[in-house]
Amino acid sequence: MNVTGIVFANDGTLGDLTEKRTMASLPYGGRYRQVDFALSNLACAGIHRVGIVTRHNYQSLMNHVGSGEEWGLEMEEGGLEYLTPYSSSRTSDYRGKLESLHAAMSFLEYGNDDYVIMIDAAILSNVDLLKVINAHVESGKDITVVTKSGIADGRRQLDLAIKLDSKGEVKDVAVDYAAPSDYEASMDIFVLSRKWLITQVKEHIARNLYHMDRDLVLGLWKKKQATLNVYRFGGVALCNDTVLEYFQNNLALTQKEIREDLFGRNHPIYTKVRDRVPTFYGENSLVKNCSVADGCMLGGSVANSVLFRQVTVYPGASVKNCVIMNDTVVREDACLENVILDKDVVVRPGTKLIGTATNPIVVKRGEVV
Amino acid sequence: MDKLSVPLTKRLKELNTMYFQKKRCIAMLLAGGQGSRLKVLTQNTAKPAVPFGGKYRIIDFPLSNCVNSGIDTVGILTQYQPLELNEYIGNGQPWGLNKSQASAQVLPPYERNDKKNGWYKGTANAIYQNIAFIDRYEPEYVVVLSGDHIYKMDYADMVAFHEKNSAACTIAVRDVPLEEASRFGILNTNPDGSIYEFEEKPKHPKSTNASMGIYVFNWTILREFLIADEEDEASSNDFGKNIIPNLLNAGHKLMAYTFNGYWKDVGTIDSLWEANMELLGKDPEFDIRGDEKTRIYARNSALPSSYLDEHAVTENCFIAEGSEIYGTVRHSIISTGCMVGQGALVEDSVVMPGTVIAPNAIVRHAILGENSKIGRGAVVGGAYAPGEKKKISVTGKDTVLEENAVLLPGEMV
Repeated sequence: MNVTGIVFANDGTLGDLTEKRTMASLPYGGRYRQVDFALSNLACAGIHRVGIVTRHNYQSLMNHVGSGEEWGLEMEEGGLEYLTPYSSSRTSDYRGKLESLHAAMSFLEYGNDDYVIMIDAAILSNVDLLKVINAHVESGKDITVVTKSGIADGRRQLDLAIKLDSKGEVKDVAVDYAAPSDYEASMDIFVLSRKWLITQVKEHIARNLYHMDRDLVLGLWKKKQATLNVYRFGGVALCNDTVLEYFQNNLALTQKEIREDLFGRNHPIYTKVRDRVPTFYGENSLVKNCSVADGCMLGGSVANSVLFRQVTVYPGASVKNCVIMNDTVVREDACLENVILDKDVVVRPGTKLIGTATNPIVVKRGEVV
Repeated sequence: MDKLSVPLTKRLKELNTMYFQKKRCIAMLLAGGQGSRLKVLTQNTAKPAVPFGGKYRIIDFPLSNCVNSGIDTVGILTQYQPLELNEYIGNGQPWGLNKSQASAQVLPPYERNDKKNGWYKGTANAIYQNIAFIDRYEPEYVVVLSGDHIYKMDYADMVAFHEKNSAACTIAVRDVPLEEASRFGILNTNPDGSIYEFEEKPKHPKSTNASMGIYVFNWTILREFLIADEEDEASSNDFGKNIIPNLLNAGHKLMAYTFNGYWKDVGTIDSLWEANMELLGKDPEFDIRGDEKTRIYARNSALPSSYLDEHAVTENCFIAEGSEIYGTVRHSIISTGCMVGQGALVEDSVVMPGTVIAPNAIVRHAILGENSKIGRGAVVGGAYAPGEKKKISVTGKDTVLEENAVLLPGEMV
């Protein structure tokens, strides 16, 4: 069975943190970018033809993913394609997923793959996509959507929510709706037949309908023109739509269950290799309940924090409940609590920055504070 | 005869020379040694594949040196337990040696139609058997390296020195203490740095210039001497014992190239342990970190960040990605994907990748081989007063120590 993968890079919604990044290239968990999860899920399902749909700020994404060799996508046939706007004189910036698929029609129409799997880069999970694809084929339905129960509960940002009856059949579909807790939340992973999708994209665009969840899923289901299959995912699924969620979901990596599910549920999560030495812990360092990537030099005290690669914490500095990205330096006697420090930040000696657990301070990339 | 065959052959020949682009300098890395003095650590592993410094293997050092010196074609001669090494080198991608004009190629012994083949009989024979490989690149210089030393060196400087002196062969040397000189190959030199005599492990050394096992040769000259050496049935086909003395006797110019940086032969348990310990401290003897020009590259594992628990104590140590620390680690190297359980103590030790130390185990002055399992409450090694002679305890790859087991200082399993 041949499957084409489409990854949506998603526009940034995290203010300063995504000023120059897509959601896909947002750093997460010490050594990853968010897109690593979607790409690893695809790679481990043996999917070797992948398009990445991206609209703005894709320089950091292309820099990270490159030719896709870490995910087995560096090949002559198939491999990786970037599906950017303005890729031909007839395409333009897009308003919704269907419009972006329409712009990428030549990518969709090429080849003989039977199915298309669409996956958002902004949802972090370790899913066995082969099981999802097999469930789709067995169901005989038009669209399979992967969902997670228990996270709907009036969540503001929820795009697509589905209520099932006791037999597992779809009872209600809601879009942009603060759904109650008995709704399944979409993880923005869909499986469809490639030919069916091509037809639907063309028909929808012809009628100026461009919204995937609203027009294709909800619209066709309501009109009984498409059948829906729901694949309920039982593992951890994290979504960093807001700065607070981003902060909390990073710190969640200090919990063993979250780490084990996210990195060990089905397969490894691959990322771009950066050759850095292991982390060095100094004579008087005090590092407790922390997730630490390679290449750090730690001399001070660090608690309940996530440290990315090559972070330096000088002796005498104190770091608590912080997310610190690559190459940031915290000098002696600085004191940080509930702070997100982007890459290449320098915290000067003695600086004190205290945020709160529900309103962390964000320090922009390259700043000196 | 058909007329087509002539242009076709010619054309193929052209294509062939295009593919094997001529190189000024290539490297041949001798990685076939058994490393028997590393005992249980090399029982099923070639010495160059032995883990070092938390996330590296010994071979990463000469390989990265090649890449950092601008040498992009490296032949790796394997023989003893090559499986792990072959897998580790793979297509050479971690070192950037997987390009159309840059490659790392594993060269095991092979069967030839003239029967002048078989196992590599010695270091010189290993290169002799791969003359065809080297000829494809038509190099002016061949750098011969060994896969069992820890150091950072720019070979380009040495090749430039070799070229400037119009030497047939240049050998890297370092100054060793006189009392240790009889353990090395010693090169006696004239005031201008040219070599007049080579003595393998002399009882009464005349100088302290020890060979580091790093050679630069003019390929045309080396090629000729390799062929002659192969025809000499009395020869042990070794660079130190045969090729170098033969070059000297023939009147060729051999130069000694002095290298003053850190260099360590990690051929014994004690030296392997020491070299790991020399990475530690605020101002380490060997700084494993590096910039673009001195970085050491390794095949990376796809493991998440390491995790340090609430109860973890980590002082003066390196801890690599994928490790989980619940106990105490002092003055040690914890490699990729290890676990140190709650209440466990690791001191002055090298813990190789994938090793699990169960809660309340005590590990001191030890090297724990890859994927070892140290049972709950087990005790490995001992403590020493400063200056006291330390005996290193060692577990081999995949060793399991039962609960409350004891491995005495200096013991190996």
